[in-house]
This record gives sequence, structure tokens and C-alpha cells, in this order.
Amino acid sequence: MMNFRNAGRISGVVATGAIAALLVTGCSRGGDAGGDETNAPSPGITDTTLSLGISSPLSGPTAGPGSCSVAGLNTYLEAKNADGGFEFGDGNTREVTLTYLDDVYDPAKAVSNFRQLVDDGIFAYVGALGTPTNAAILPIAQEEEVPQVLLITGATMFSSNQEENPYTFGLLPTYYSEGEAFGELLVGRDEAITVATLAQNDDYGDDYLAGFEAAIEGSDVEIVASATYEPSDPTLDSQVTELAASGADALLSAVSVTPLQVGVLTKAQSLGWTPEIFLPSNTSTPATVVVPGNGAAYPAVYSTSLTKVPVSPAFAEDEDVIAYNEAFAQYGASIAANYTPHCAWSYAEGAILEQAFLGMTEPTRENFLTALHSIEDFQAPLLLDGITVNTTDPTLPAIQGLTLVQFNGTGYGPVQ
Amino acid sequence: MAYFIQLVIEGLATGSIYGALALAIVLVNRATGLINFAQGGMAVLSTFVAYALFNAGAPLPLAILGAVVFAFVLGAAIERVIVRPFERGDPDTAVVVTIGLFVLVGGIAAFFFGYEPRQFPSFFGLETLNLGGVFVSLRSLGTIVVLAVVVVLLQLLFRGTKLGLAMRAVADNPQSASLSGLPVSRLLMIGWGLASVLGVVAGVLVAPQLFVSPGMLDFVLVYALAAAILGGLDSPLGAVVAAWFIGVIENLAGAYIEFIGNDLKIAVPFLVMIVILIVRPQGLFGRKVVVRV
Amino acid sequence: MNTLSKLSANLWVRVAFGVVVAAVLMVAPLISSKFVNYQLGLIAVFAVAILGLNIVMGYAGQVSLGQSAFLGLGAYIAAYFVTADLPIPDELRLPVSLLLCAIIPAAVGLVVALAAARLRGLALAMVTIALPIIGIPLAKRFREFTGGSQGTTVSWLRAPDWTEGILENDQWRYYVVVVIAVLMFVLARNLVRGRMGRAFRIVKENEAVAVAMGISPYRYKVLAFTIASMFGGVAGFMYLGVVQYTSPETLSFHTSINMVAAMVIGGSASILGTVLGAIYFVLVPNLANEINPSLTALFSGAILLAVLFLAPGGVVSLPRRISQVARAVARRRGTATPQNPSDPAPASVTTRPESTEKNKGKRQGQ
Repeated sequence: MMNFRNAGRISGVVATGAIAALLVTGCSRGGDAGGDETNAPSPGITDTTLSLGISSPLSGPTAGPGSCSVAGLNTYLEAKNADGGFEFGDGNTREVTLTYLDDVYDPAKAVSNFRQLVDDGIFAYVGALGTPTNAAILPIAQEEEVPQVLLITGATMFSSNQEENPYTFGLLPTYYSEGEAFGELLVGRDEAITVATLAQNDDYGDDYLAGFEAAIEGSDVEIVASATYEPSDPTLDSQVTELAASGADALLSAVSVTPLQVGVLTKAQSLGWTPEIFLPSNTSTPATVVVPGNGAAYPAVYSTSLTKVPVSPAFAEDEDVIAYNEAFAQYGASIAANYTPHCAWSYAEGAILEQAFLGMTEPTRENFLTALHSIEDFQAPLLLDGITVNTTDPTLPAIQGLTLVQFNGTGYGPVQ
Repeated sequence: MAYFIQLVIEGLATGSIYGALALAIVLVNRATGLINFAQGGMAVLSTFVAYALFNAGAPLPLAILGAVVFAFVLGAAIERVIVRPFERGDPDTAVVVTIGLFVLVGGIAAFFFGYEPRQFPSFFGLETLNLGGVFVSLRSLGTIVVLAVVVVLLQLLFRGTKLGLAMRAVADNPQSASLSGLPVSRLLMIGWGLASVLGVVAGVLVAPQLFVSPGMLDFVLVYALAAAILGGLDSPLGAVVAAWFIGVIENLAGAYIEFIGNDLKIAVPFLVMIVILIVRPQGLFGRKVVVRV
Repeated sequence: MNTLSKLSANLWVRVAFGVVVAAVLMVAPLISSKFVNYQLGLIAVFAVAILGLNIVMGYAGQVSLGQSAFLGLGAYIAAYFVTADLPIPDELRLPVSLLLCAIIPAAVGLVVALAAARLRGLALAMVTIALPIIGIPLAKRFREFTGGSQGTTVSWLRAPDWTEGILENDQWRYYVVVVIAVLMFVLARNLVRGRMGRAFRIVKENEAVAVAMGISPYRYKVLAFTIASMFGGVAGFMYLGVVQYTSPETLSFHTSINMVAAMVIGGSASILGTVLGAIYFVLVPNLANEINPSLTALFSGAILLAVLFLAPGGVVSLPRRISQVARAVARRRGTATPQNPSDPAPASVTTRPESTEKNKGKRQGQ
């Protein structure tokens, strides 16, 4: 049939045309990873500019935290740019720009975005959110010799092996250390306590459990019931019912999905089970989790905290918070409409980058990494007092400190 | 024993979530012979309308009513404008159109409301009843009851009213229906409008627990499809019974069979469903399809 | 009769066209950046996966919403066999993996099909939906084999020593993957043009007729499904080669649905449509990202619907659509043109204001 054959030929033209367009746009088999001589500048940096790239989930269920991972950083960068720019250790003052892409939490897409950003000539890849996405990028970052730093994930794998992966490390305290902190709190009471655990069925949950179990080893604290869940589960009611049957004194609820965490809080008390509860830092916000879940019904609700909460009246007088809120309204609100802790974390990340820039004496990626890894005792804005940035340990992320806090009816305060 | 009953009750409650959406899918299929992958997305968009109205100060029943009206108009409009051109063509293409709609409607919801999960008030309040050691929330009970009522109403609609009969005629044989003087176009739109209303009922029932977000019903849709197909695609009662069945089996398998645990429990209803379908391809309640040669 | 038809009929022109395409494919990676090679590699991967889908869905008419499960299975098999401590000599690892990536998913597909092929339409769809749904928790459960939810990273398909200085890793990967893709396409083309393809078509059209002709619908459905699974598995091998990472998310139901959409958009029951569909699958998310990274869902959905409205038979049918529209316009202007008998046109034919270089496709009737 003539029709089909001609249609075929013409579509062939279309196909070749599409591929040709793709090639033309990417038609630059340039040099690979930066210059060999230490003085040749890396891609993405000139005397007056430096470009950063990030790929985070900007749509889909993780879009809230993902957008915040971009918004906070963008706020810090743009505010400083408007103020004159960043000072570098080599004497130049540069404008630092951020290019961001959406990867819908899909590793293949994240790799594609990373390659595109590198192709476009970014200097460094910073602050991306997600564990599988960053895991997929990790080997490529090493091979391309592009810094993949200050990642917004608490997975241990990114920071624990910096000898082998010198171009990568994380920003946040690991989930392991959060679980460990909870365990230590219970052990410190010196009594027999039964614990039920509810954990996400992946490294997020596994890391929490591993840290918790390590802390309680050899003590009188015992895990008597465990359950897992998938992030796609519509409700955790049956898991909570299972755990409630154990009547444990405490519940470690390593749940990273806000509606599910609220469901845990409401379901447990509706069954007449009111243990002490430990919430992870990213699902512990009073307004969206604890209050809707009626946290007051429990004898104690604990969590960990890293930063001051800019949307909470408790911190309204703090000058860092005031500066953040002002700048965010202008540079971040269009990217992230709602606050999640990731906004504050990525804002602090901007300040850490600034410190690294101050220590940079040469416009190369290697020099940037050296400067980035030389920060000690830096009190980044929005970090709680006492939590400082220390990047000198090759097995730890940039921020290691955690403060255990307890819900006091309206917000969080020191543990009673 | 109380534990067992608790699990069953919870399974029925979760199953009701699947069943509510399954009803909408069955209705669309009965009216236009299509599987609408965007059913969940349309329901969520309408639920967002209820959320917006409620937050603007309207009392909850009024907000829900407003959402119902919106849902009907949305469903009818989508059928007329977007789906109609593809209804008589290749069924695969029609399904992909609903997939495109699914993505687009989700994107529209996200554009107006963002991705953060929003709280939605429960129509039935927050209390939990203690019935002899078994704890049932009023919301779960309310959902199950509403679902049962809707199923009865739907059965009445299709078996006992002229409208229902007309809709079935149009779905069965549009040419004959048109020749008989039935307003085919209007009936198709009504079918989708009604399905969309069912969808928003589902959305409003489950929103208090799932929180309103563009992806709220994404995974529920898969269960709802399973329930609709297992029940036999033309039976509202079948869809709901199948949904309850799926919810209960999943819970029991997860709790009592060690090997399965929480992560593989989702496999159980699907495996059971496959076995049932092999033995009885028309589903539990469906009519046997006879193709005349 | 226009010049293009005459040209296409000419064998030499077709050969020349083929040579040009081959030349472009061969030279492309040498001049393009790693990012572009990555994209082209991904297009090859999904072209093979969607090709399998097209065979079972487009040609044989059986709904399959679980192709991603076979893609993921293939990727995991490849990851395991390339890194595991098995007594296989290094040079043979790759071919052995490729073979296993074809055989094991095909076997799984066969078993599933034997059970499910008796089901009709949506019941079969449901069984295929069950594959990724069950596959993901299974992948997480067997972590010694799969790396668990963290996934597995490999450093694989590195440019062999004899290409030192000539080819880099990403270029080598591109070539391997494209060669496999071309082989699979040739295989598919022979399948659908031969007796098997004809049998598939008859089974899709009317099973009763098939039985009357002595063709067992059940057997051919099982065959189609098995072939599709094999293609999915091979695509999984290629996927691991290009992305160098796999995780349970590779099996996601979402990917299956997007592949079906891409198949229809490219053009189902069409070999060339498959390539177009793969291009759509890989490039449209990038396009949406370019327009607005925060609104990718909105634009992806809008683009999908727009394409379907303009070309319901898929992009591959676009030239035919344009000629239909051109004829409709001509008819309205009063120019006498014989009507084209059977047009599967949708109820509303939209008039296009311009179609400059595509006017080549205008036909003045048959």
C-alpha cells in the first residue's frame, strides 16, 4: 500500500530530523573533566560568575521537600548576589547562579539531568534531594570529576566513603544518627523499656533501625514488635494495629510520608495505645503532623531538630529568621509554596557554600572541594545554637549534630 | 479473636476506599465502554474544589455540594470535548487519551494547589467507637455505609429507571440507540458526569485520612481497577464486594502469614484475583460475554 | 502522482536513504556530548522495550501494562551476572548476560501468558498490572540478588582496551546498545512481516476467524507475550548499559503506562512508530523541563493530548493525516477530488493553517 510506505519514509525523515535536532544542540565533544594543569579553570567559572546545578523532584509526591531543596538555596544565593555577590579567596567577587531541573524522583531522569547540567557547563552539582537519584549519579560524578556535594539526604552511603568517592558527600546528619539519638535517650533512663518499630521498607527505614539497634545493644531496651510499610501504601492502620497488640512502651515511627505519619498518630490513640513516640525530623512539623494527629494524647513526642523554624512564632525575633523570611518571599516563594524543613536546610547550605568560596584560591573544582572540606565550627544561619558545620571528617556529612527535642503542645522544646 | 475482627474491620474500611473509586470506573465503563485512567485525578481535582470552598469559609456540606456540581460539569465537559472524538476509534488510543488526561489533570491540580498534602475535615467527625474490644472509627463506618447506599442507588438507577435503561442502551449499541431517538450525546455526558460525581464522593470520603494532594488517589486507582475488573466490569455491587474482599485479604495475609509480611501483602489480592479470573473470566459478578460468530 | 512517491518507489533512493541514516547513527556519538549519547542510548533502550510492547499490543492486540517488569528483570539479571562471582570468563560475561536477559524474562513471560492468555481484554490487563505491583516488593525482598531498595550501581560496558584512545566509555556503550537495537528491530521486522505477523493480525481482528483458519488464538497470544517479554528483557540489559544503575523503581507501573502511551503516540502496529514513540518517551520530559521545571506534569499531559488530537493514529500517521486535511480543505474550496474510502478519522477534523515542507505528503487521491 503506497500510503503506508510513503508515510513510513516521511516519518523516517521526521525521526532523523528529531535526532538531528538533538545532535545539533549537543554537538560539542568538548574536553572532559576540567583541565589537567592546576591553573586551568574548571568549567562553569569565570572571573565574575560561577554556575551551580541541581536536580530534585519538583513534581509528584516528594515535590514539597524537593522544591524546598531548591528554594532555600536559591534564596540565599540570589539575596547575596543582590547584595554585591560572593567573595572568593582568589580576590574576585562573583555572581553565583543556580540552574534547576525536575527529575520526578526517577533515577534515570536524574542521571539525564545531571549529564545535561554538566553538558551545559556547571561548576558543581549541589544540594540535590533523594537517595536513589543521587545513588545513580554518584559513580558518574566521580568519573566526570564533578562535585556532587551537600546532598539533601540522610543516607549514610553518601558520606561514609569519601576516600573512595572524593567528589561526593552529604549535608544532613544521617538517619542512622537520628535513630541512634533516640536509642541513647531510652538507654539513658536505665530501665527496661519495650519498643515497637515502624519503618519504611528501604534504606531510610533501615538506617534508622540500624542506628537505634546499635544504641540499645546490651541494654534493657528491647524491640518487641516491628512492622514495615511502602511509601505507596494508602494507610498504615493495619501496621499500627499489629504493633498495638504488643502494648510496647515506645514507638519508633520512621515514617517519611506526612499523611501516613498523621495516620499513625491518630490510629494508635484510637486503639487505646499511647506509647512514647519518636518522629523523624522530616515528619515532625507541629502544624502539619503533630497537631492534626493530636500528639497531646501521648505522654511524650520526641524528634530531632537541626534548624530554627522560620514559620514558627517561637523564632519570630531571631535576626537570621527575619532575614530568611524577607529574602524567601522574594526569591524562594515562587519555587516552593509551602514550608518544609528542607527550605531551612538548603538555606544553610547556601551559607556553607559561601564559606567554601571564601577559602577558594583557584578557580578549579579540586580547589573548591579542598576549601569545602576545611570548614570547622561554622555556625550557619538558621542552625540551632550548638549545632555547627564541620566538614573535615571524610566519613561524615557536613552537619553531624542533632538536638533531641520534645513536643510541648505548640512546638518543640528541650527534652524534659 | 478481637485482633482478627479488628483486621477485618480495617480491611473493610480500606476496601471501601478502593470501592468508592471502583464504582466510578464501573460507571464510566457501563456508559461509554472505556476504562478511564483519569478517574482518580478528576476526583482529586474536584476534592480540591471542596477544599478551597471549605477554606473560603463555606460549611462542609455546602463545600461538598459545590464540589459535586463541579465534578458533574467537569466529567460531562471532558467526555464531550476530549474523549468523544476517540470513543469510536481504536480502544488503545482512547485509553492513552485518559492516561494523558490523568497527567494533565494532576498537573492542573498541582498548578493551583501545589503538591503538599492538605488536611480535609472528616464529614463524620473523629470519634472512635469501642465495640467489645474492637475499635471502629466513625469515619470508617460512615464510609462503608455511604458506599453501600451508593451501590443500592446505582443498582436502582440501572435496573429501575428510564435513564439507567437509556444509558445501558447507549453503551451497548449506540447506533441503534440513536436510531431509537435517544439523545446519545447527552446520555454519554451524563454518564461521565455521574461517574465524576461518584469520584468526588470517593475523594471526599477518603481525603480526611489520605490528605488532599494531586497524587492522593494514584495508588488507590490500581486497587480500584483490580476491584472493578474482579467484580465484573458491569456490576457496581461486584466492584464494591471485590474491593472489600481485596482489603480484607490483604490485611489478613500480611498479619498472619509470616513469609508475606507487610511488603508482599499487596501481592496476595492480585494473585487471588488472577486465580479467580482464570477460573471465572467474567469476574465474580459479571455477565458471561458471548461472542456470536 | 507526486515526486516523493516516485522517489520512494525507486530502490536506489531507499538504499541511499538507509545509508544516510546508518551514517548518521555511526558518526553521531563521535561528535556529540556525553549527554546526547546518553539520550540516544536511552532512546535505543526504550525503542526495544516499546517494540516488544507493540508486538503484543499493537500487532496481536493483547493489552500489556506490565512491560516495565520485564525491563526491570532484564536490568537486574544483567547487573547480577556482570558483577557476581561466577565461573564465567570475563570476555564471555557480556554475551552470556545478554542471552540470559533474553531467555529468563521470556520464560517468565511464557509462564504468565500460559495462565493469562485465556483471559480477555481487561482481565488480561489486570494480570499484567499485577506484574510490576508484585515485582517491586519482590525486588526489595531479595536484596542479596538485587541490592534491595538502594538499587545496584555497576561500572560496566567500559570501552575495551583495544579502543584505547579512539573511543570513550559513553561512545562504546552507545555503539553496543545501538547494534543490539538494530538487531532486535531486524528480528521484529521479520517476525511481523512473516507468517507469525499475519497470524497475530488475524487473532487481533477476529478470533473466531482465526480458529476457522486453523490458527490457535491461545497459542499465538502466548507466543506474542513471550516475544514481548524477551524484548523487554533485552531492553533491560541495554538499560543497565546506558544508565549503569537499576533499582526497584525501574519496574514501576508508571513506566509501563508511559510506554503504552509512547507506543500509541508513535503509532501502534508500526515498526517506525516504535522509534518515534521512543523518541517521544525520552525527549518530552526534557522538553517539559525546558518550559518550566516546576510544571512538568502540566506540560507533559498537555503535549500528549495535543499529539493525540492532531494525530490519533500516532505520529507515524501524521503525513496521512495532513494529506486528509489538505484534501478536506481542497474539497471545501470546491476542487473536485475523489474521496478516500476508509479513513479512521475522528469526529472532528481540524484544519491546519500551514504545513510547509510536509506538503510533500499531499496526495491527490488514490
